[in-house]
Amino acid sequence: MILDTIDISQLLSLLTFNRDEPMLFTSGLFWVLFLLFLPVYAMLKSRRKKMMIFVIAFSLYFFYKSSGIFFLLLVATSIFDWWVAQFIDSSKNRTERRIALTVSLVFSLGILLFFKYSNFVIWNMNALIHGNFQPLDLIMPVGVSFYTFRTISYVVDVYKGRIQPVDDYLDHLFFLSYFPCLVAGPIVRSRDFIPQLQENKPATREMIYGGLFLVMLGIMKKALFADYIAQYNNIVFGNPTGYTGFELLMAVLGFTMQIYCDFSGYSDMAIGLGSIMGFNLGINFDYPYRALNVSEFWHRWHITLSTWLRDYVYIPLGGNRKGKFRQYINLMVTMLLGGLWHGAAWTFVVWGAGHGIALCVHKLCKPWLDTIASTRLSRTVSWLLTFTFVAFLWIFFRANTFHAAGQIISGIITDFEWAYLPVFLERRFTWCLMLAIIYALHFVPRRVWDSLRERFIAAPWWLKLVLFILLIQLVLQFASATVQPFLYSQF
Amino acid sequence: MNKHYWGLWSLLLAALVFFVVLSFWQDGFNVGGLEIKTASFARDMGAEPGPRHVTDADTLDANGRLPNGKHPKGWRAPMDTTAKNILFIGDSMLEGLAPRLAKYCDKNGHKLVEVIWYSSSTLCWGESARLTELINEYHPDYIFVCLGANELYVPDIKRARRPHLKKMLAEIGDIPYVWIGPPNWDEDTGINDLLKQEVDEGCFYLSANDHFERSRDGAHPTRPSAHQWMDRVIKWVVAEGAHPIRLESPGEGISRASRIVIYQPPK
Repeated sequence: MILDTIDISQLLSLLTFNRDEPMLFTSGLFWVLFLLFLPVYAMLKSRRKKMMIFVIAFSLYFFYKSSGIFFLLLVATSIFDWWVAQFIDSSKNRTERRIALTVSLVFSLGILLFFKYSNFVIWNMNALIHGNFQPLDLIMPVGVSFYTFRTISYVVDVYKGRIQPVDDYLDHLFFLSYFPCLVAGPIVRSRDFIPQLQENKPATREMIYGGLFLVMLGIMKKALFADYIAQYNNIVFGNPTGYTGFELLMAVLGFTMQIYCDFSGYSDMAIGLGSIMGFNLGINFDYPYRALNVSEFWHRWHITLSTWLRDYVYIPLGGNRKGKFRQYINLMVTMLLGGLWHGAAWTFVVWGAGHGIALCVHKLCKPWLDTIASTRLSRTVSWLLTFTFVAFLWIFFRANTFHAAGQIISGIITDFEWAYLPVFLERRFTWCLMLAIIYALHFVPRRVWDSLRERFIAAPWWLKLVLFILLIQLVLQFASATVQPFLYSQF
Repeated sequence: MNKHYWGLWSLLLAALVFFVVLSFWQDGFNVGGLEIKTASFARDMGAEPGPRHVTDADTLDANGRLPNGKHPKGWRAPMDTTAKNILFIGDSMLEGLAPRLAKYCDKNGHKLVEVIWYSSSTLCWGESARLTELINEYHPDYIFVCLGANELYVPDIKRARRPHLKKMLAEIGDIPYVWIGPPNWDEDTGINDLLKQEVDEGCFYLSANDHFERSRDGAHPTRPSAHQWMDRVIKWVVAEGAHPIRLESPGEGISRASRIVIYQPPK
């Protein structure tokens, strides 16, 4: 009866490339496919070669579903960089090695720059010379920013002699196409990943159910919290002049947590999936809003990106080895590039520049800051300053234009009244409650999370099932729940 | 197979079966007053009847509709020059639109009833019986609707709002109508797509591409801009709409509907 109602062609269309519906870990389709993937993976796990071919095929399909034919770009990049790394390792001629590295960087970065920044360049050219160049109709391959950084780190590490090149091409393709890291990182390094792949240890109970715990945590952050609170933030950032200073401030606080839950939630899911498959992908976010200064924030925020920028931009530029002034320049260049990596718009550059300036100021003041005794008051003030600054810069990250960012900032400064609080609480109670919960959870001590994870791993099967179902049902409950767009305070 | 993988797989499978089975209750269900929502598996697999493909063999009924209830692409009723009893319903956008439409009605001999339900959306209209009550009370023979501005950012909107939109269209039934889309100030999450899909051919005016001068709140067009918006809609109704009626230009200015009904924002 049920089977009679299933439309096979509709089902097949779900499985083919659709640019509007990339396959994400939060989609039902992914979990249905993962359910088919898992038993085959488990059976092949001990037979390394077959397991690798199977995972590569699944990963490439995952990429195809989100990016269509562009999955071939990933394959081309992997072939080219694998060959370049072999060549660099075998060549004794320094010039040849340098040329090979340069060609590899031009190839990888060329693809990234073309897809991500072509239109940005065209818009700026039009603005500068009053031209009329038409923007290109480009589909950006999903995750290109992430796998480009992974492949660059591999080739550079081989060039620098930090690692040996991977002999087996399949190992390299597995690393580069590995689906948990494909869409949004973490930016795992070859030197951390390949040894695990070659060792191919069986996944333990702790890894499998600890991974599920992380996946659930990620679903909670991304699909429950971030997606719900994003509704209000989108409304306000889309039309800042329609809102009071109080509402604008709430949207800034909301976006501050939305972006954390979004990024870190997706990372948690990726790391959890990796753990289920027996791979340790490290950590990517370490409670960043607990940071007491901007340097610490960057040690906690998107760790694999910040360490990548440190190792492959900041240090090669000279790091702190060429005097204070050069160090500040290097920091600024690194953070400007970091900003631009997040998106092709000047608002992202300003966001990066803001962080760069803050890092320079912190480095400059560090000798003096170190003399201040660490008291509860000093820590609170440090935290408040850091949090306020980070939240302030998120305005530029999220706003569509500088004009909109300016409207938000001036609205908060000139049109702020606490009188809106009761109305806001009444009409957007669920939103406020959710935001409060997220902020509270962010400050739950790590040992509590570790303990919860251990308890979850040890819990009976049926309890894990109930918790999983409850979480997914909560996501469903809130998926179509809406936030009141306007407060008709005059009524 | 590692027994822990078996445990995880059976857990995921049990959860999937649970949600797939529940998904056949596409409208969800109630447990102790709490509305339980269900996943979209059944709908994605085609359990919900999809749009039927039109073939040459399909014939139009007396109202010019295909067997699927829709008008064929490009279908237009002949110009109706009789005086109409017009009902104009919608959200706060009517504050700017309706006075201008009233001016047209004055000029062309139509009677206009304006119903503003502040902060309303297809959800609250669809969930209530208000539209049917209004139709029963005022017996309109032409309806204008302007809704969607309060749901520009609703997530998963096609799934969430389609039933409510369908219910509204069913309530309108065979009465000729025009649905004026929301004046986007930012990209929406699908309300305009949904309206394009569900509203009859020639009955949906897409406002998203129009340029508006905004009032201080940023969301509503200024009054002059709203009047120009209504002018554009009327020009479209006469030239391209499925149900053209007599709407000659009254010149500048606004007027007042013969009756204005206001409802408070939904709770």
